[in-house]
Amino acid sequence: MDAIQWRKLGKIFDPTQHNLPNDCVQFAQSPQSLVFDDFVRIYFSTRTKDKSNGKYLSHIAFVDMQKNMREVIRVSDKTVIPLGGLGCFDEHGIFPMSVVRHGDAVYGYTCGWNRRISVSVDTAIGLAISRDDGLTFQRIGDGPVLASSLREPCLIGDGFVKIIGDMFHMWYIFGIGWKIYSAEAPPDRTYKIGHVVSNDGINWTKNEAQQIIADRLGRDESQALPTVISIDGRYHMFFCYRQSFDFRNSRDRGYRIGHAYTDDLVNWTRADQHLVLDVTPGDWDSDMVCYPNVFECNDRVYLLYNGNEFGRYGFGLAVLEK
Amino acid sequence: MAQWKKLGKVFTPQEVEGRSWLREFAQAPATLVFDGFVRVYFSCRPPADENGQYISYSAFVDLDYADRFKVKYVSKQPILSLGGLGEFDEFGTYPVSVIRDGDEVRAYYAGWTRCESVPFNVAIGMAISRDGGETFTKLGNGPVLSYSPDEPFILGGPKIRRFNDTWYLWYIAGRKWKMFEGRAEPVYKIRMASSSDGIRWTKVNKDLIENRIEEDEAQASPDVIYASGRYHMFFCYRRSTNYRCKENGYRIGYASSTNLTDWVRDDAKAGIDVSENEWDAEMVSYPHVFELNGATYLAYLGNQVGRHGFGLAALDGRLE
Repeated sequence: MDAIQWRKLGKIFDPTQHNLPNDCVQFAQSPQSLVFDDFVRIYFSTRTKDKSNGKYLSHIAFVDMQKNMREVIRVSDKTVIPLGGLGCFDEHGIFPMSVVRHGDAVYGYTCGWNRRISVSVDTAIGLAISRDDGLTFQRIGDGPVLASSLREPCLIGDGFVKIIGDMFHMWYIFGIGWKIYSAEAPPDRTYKIGHVVSNDGINWTKNEAQQIIADRLGRDESQALPTVISIDGRYHMFFCYRQSFDFRNSRDRGYRIGHAYTDDLVNWTRADQHLVLDVTPGDWDSDMVCYPNVFECNDRVYLLYNGNEFGRYGFGLAVLEK
Repeated sequence: MAQWKKLGKVFTPQEVEGRSWLREFAQAPATLVFDGFVRVYFSCRPPADENGQYISYSAFVDLDYADRFKVKYVSKQPILSLGGLGEFDEFGTYPVSVIRDGDEVRAYYAGWTRCESVPFNVAIGMAISRDGGETFTKLGNGPVLSYSPDEPFILGGPKIRRFNDTWYLWYIAGRKWKMFEGRAEPVYKIRMASSSDGIRWTKVNKDLIENRIEEDEAQASPDVIYASGRYHMFFCYRRSTNYRCKENGYRIGYASSTNLTDWVRDDAKAGIDVSENEWDAEMVSYPHVFELNGATYLAYLGNQVGRHGFGLAALDGRLE
């Protein structure tokens, strides 16, 4: 197989240059594309501060871009989906939301965040449906469609859904546990990528802790944000991976983009021995590259991703070189 | 109409010595009948921490039924360890419901975690004993029944039963958190799921018991028994706010069904109420019905939801 090569096109969206809804000022994380006839809508997670305690709350917003992927048409000017109610799984943030068309609707799979006491957070995956072409989304219920279970004890999130044939496939992450690595630092989590299928996009059958992507960095590798695309008849997954602790400020331990491929949607071969998309010294993505999303537009395959500080100052784009 | 004849309080946790994890509370009794004694599982607590917060453990007491349910033995250790960092049962395993399955005993329990905006969340776990119910091993470190679109939080109070080769789990699911005088109070309703193996569950996704005293009535402890050709459910219910007093506190309710999913509530048939001024004068709650030597008994909690132990009552008449 020819190696996957991406050519960087630079940062294409900076949240600090726009007025965003929900009093959000920084962060445009985990860009997720929805292609229309004459523009591309990119959802992302941006942040405001919780007035009660100064902690972050992540909200979904979007930007519509010309199909040349250079000019911004507009950013969302109202709430795309409100946060969950008191005590709900998505009360303290939605990050990310992955979108997929299903008939006339757009299904949004949310990763909802809620704060805990002994550890910082737990997450689960919810479903919200849009009937207005993705301007606003309504939850199907207050609770999640995919949550922790017997052998996936915590941190279910990052659901990416693709409809293949008449089946819904979801690639997502599950936490395998929290660990205290250093007395000075709060507990850190480790998560891995799993796969579930469904007939209706609502009821999912889990395989219980079946990690589908082999570790490169050992058991303490955290894998996140899978995105899957078919290129020349073969399914490719891009994701990001890092060490589970001291990854925020140590460049060598931070996020990099991973890659795997499969022909049967079951057995994945990891193929990122050579870096898929490396950091660029001196640039906006000099320390980390993370949160990939791949999509096709005008016969090109693009990769959206975040750079330094997990996307505090926006996201960029790369194009597949064939 | 059947009435429960009270036999008094039979277990007082404050009387047990030498167990730092068992200082007070003996909540949500659940039984396993042995030859010569009845093992009653309950949930208890060590003293609260410096912030006034509790953790809860589950344990058991063996009662000698030939000698007026005298305490024979109290487990030396909790039957389950608390969960690890960030797991659903890190701060409590309460309550527990047990059932025999061949040579094994299965326990379904509610695990407690602590949250920031509300005090806690709960999900249902499962564990198996191969030594007759003395010690249990968790099947996994996550829950066996967790949150879903219509059951967003607080999945607790499991009651496990098996009828006609199918496993049934009755439990409660949180409906909303209600802010009252600066405190978040959960509203929960009685729900049910069924399973062919007791591990993969299909939720019925409906409230089984209609509300009677208010829309936000909290319902708990749905304990089901089969008798005289129908299913009988005893449960408890209370007002959503100001319920820590005699007027609004827990009472025991009753419903019956012929098909396990459609229930007709008729609290007049519960056959038990608070006493004038005894240990169960303020509330009666967390009913558990069991059969022993041809008789039917009810284990239940009194004041302060079992802080000072649980009592028994014997059925006078028949469940019909």
